[in-house]
Amino acid sequence: MTPRWSPSRVWTGLTLAAWAALFWFIQFSGRTSLYLSSRTAWLVPLGGVLATVAAVLRLASARSVRPERLDPRGSWALGVVVLPVVILLAMPPATLGTYAAGRRSGFVGSGVSASQGSMDSGVITLVDVAAAQSSAAGRAALQRRAGEEVTFEGLVTTESDAGPGEFKLTRFIITCCVADATIAQVTVVDAPPGQLQDNEWVSVTGKLYPLGDDIVIDASAVAPIAPPEHPYLTP
Amino acid sequence: MAIDVARPRIRQPGAPTTRSAGPAVVGALVLVAATLRVLDPQRMAWLQNLLIVFGSLLVEAMPFILLGAAVSAAIEVMVPASAFARLGRLPRALQLPAAAAAGMAFPVCECGSVPVARRLASKGLAPGAAITFMLAAPIVNPVVIASTFVAYRGRDTLWLMVIGRFVLGFAVAMTVGWVIGALKGSRELLRTPAENVAAQTVEGAEPRWRRFAGHLCGDVVFMARFLVIGAFIAAAVQTFVPQSVVDRVAGLPIVSLVAMMLLAFLMSLCSESDAFVAASFVAFGPAAQLAFLVSGPMIDMKLGALYAGTYRRGFLRTATIAIFATTLVFTMWIQVIWG
Repeated sequence: MTPRWSPSRVWTGLTLAAWAALFWFIQFSGRTSLYLSSRTAWLVPLGGVLATVAAVLRLASARSVRPERLDPRGSWALGVVVLPVVILLAMPPATLGTYAAGRRSGFVGSGVSASQGSMDSGVITLVDVAAAQSSAAGRAALQRRAGEEVTFEGLVTTESDAGPGEFKLTRFIITCCVADATIAQVTVVDAPPGQLQDNEWVSVTGKLYPLGDDIVIDASAVAPIAPPEHPYLTP
Repeated sequence: MAIDVARPRIRQPGAPTTRSAGPAVVGALVLVAATLRVLDPQRMAWLQNLLIVFGSLLVEAMPFILLGAAVSAAIEVMVPASAFARLGRLPRALQLPAAAAAGMAFPVCECGSVPVARRLASKGLAPGAAITFMLAAPIVNPVVIASTFVAYRGRDTLWLMVIGRFVLGFAVAMTVGWVIGALKGSRELLRTPAENVAAQTVEGAEPRWRRFAGHLCGDVVFMARFLVIGAFIAAAVQTFVPQSVVDRVAGLPIVSLVAMMLLAFLMSLCSESDAFVAASFVAFGPAAQLAFLVSGPMIDMKLGALYAGTYRRGFLRTATIAIFATTLVFTMWIQVIWG
C-alpha cells in the first residue's frame, strides 16, 4: 500500500511546531525574563530544542499506510494545547504589578547568609533588605547601616492610608517562575506628591532607616525609569 | 500501547466520514487572539495577572513534559519488557525503596515523572513501585534538595527542613506506593481510561525512530492538555486568593498542617521552587512547612488534572486520600517534637 498523509500525525506535528515556535520566540525576543528567573532561563532553549525535535520527528513520520483521521474531540484537544501559544503570542509584554503585590507573601530569607556579607559593607540591594528582615542578625546588620544612602528600582504601589509623598516601592522576587513570586517592599517618604502613579517604574535614592518591621527610605530623588530588562529579581 | 490525544481512528474503506472540527478550532483560537488584542489585558489587572501566571507555569513545565515524554518513549522502544518483569519479581519490600531511590537519579519536576511512571507500570513494574518512583522523584532528587538548602540557608531549621523533606518524601512515597500497590486491581488503576486510548498510533512494524516519535508526541500532546487545564486553575487561584488568607490559621495544631497542604495543592508550584515560597510563610512552624513541601509535589491542581487524564478515575481519589493522610500523620509527629 502507498503511504498517505495521516491528518492526526500532521496536526500533532503542527501543534508541537507551534510550541517550538513559542519557545524560540521567547528566546530571541528577550522575553524569557517575563516568565522565568535567571536560574531557570535555560528551560526556554531546552523546550525549543525538544519541541522542535518532536515536531520534526512527527512530521517526518506523518505518512502512513493506514492514515488516522482526526475526530472532533481530538481537534479540540489539540486546540487546548495550542491555546497558551496563542495567548502568549497575542499578549503584549507585561509583568506582575500592584494587583499581585496585594496578594503575595513577602520574600523572607532565602539568601540570608549571602545578604549578611553585603549588609556589613558594600552596596545594599532590595533583595538584601528583604532577606535581612527574616533574621535577628540580618535586622541588626541593617540597623548598623541606618542612615546610609541607597538607590533602589521598583514599582510604585500606593496604599489607601498612605500620606502625601509616601508610597511602597515594590519588587517581585522569583526563584523559578512568576508563579512563585514573593515581594520585597520598602516604604518611600518625602517623594514629590501627586506625580507618581501605581505600577510606574521608578528609581529612588535616599537614606535607609529600619523602623520595626518596616524599612523606610527618606527620598532625596525619585525618577521615573523605563521597565528594566529583568523586571524580577532572583535571590 | 500508545496513547494520543488526537484520538486517531483508522479509516475503514467505505466508512462514513465525520465533519472535521478543524475550522471551528482554528476560528476559536483566532477569536481568542483577537479578543486579547482588543481588550488589552493591561487595562484589567486581574486578567493580566492571570495570564502572566498561567503562561509562566506552562513555559516552565512544558520542557519537563517534553523531557519526561522523551525518557518515557526511549524506555518504550529501547528497554525490553523482560527487564522490568525481572524487577517486578523482586519482593515488594525491596521494590519500593529501590523505586524511591531511583528517583534520586531523575532530576526533573513532578510533571516529568508522570509519563515515566506510567511507562514503567505498562512495562511490567509493580504498580506500587511505579507510584513510589513517581511520587518520590520530584522530592528526593538532588536539584530539589539543593533548592531546599538554599531556601532555608541561615535559618535554625535548615537541616530539619532539608533532611526532613528528603526523609518524609521517601517515607510518604513508599507508604502511598505500598497502600495503592496492595489494593485489589491496583494495576487496573494505573491503566489509561479507555476513552483516552488511541485505536492505534504506533504501528508495530515501523522502524524504531518512528515508534519513538509516535510515543514521544503522543505522550506530550496527551499530557499537555491536562497541564494546560491545571495551570489555568492554579493561575486563577493565585489571582483571586490572597496568600495572607491562610496566615490566620498558622498557630493552630493540625489545622495549620491541613492549611499548608491545601495551599500547596492550590498553588501548584514546581518542586524546585516551592521551598522559597514555603520559607516565606514564617508564621507556620517547620512541620506545617514540611507538609507543604512534601504533599505539593505529589498532588496539586495540575497534577490532579494529569492523574485524572493519565490513570483511571479511582486513582486520583485513592492517591489524594493516601497522600494527604500519610503526610498528615508523619508531619503531626514532627509537629509534636519540633513544633
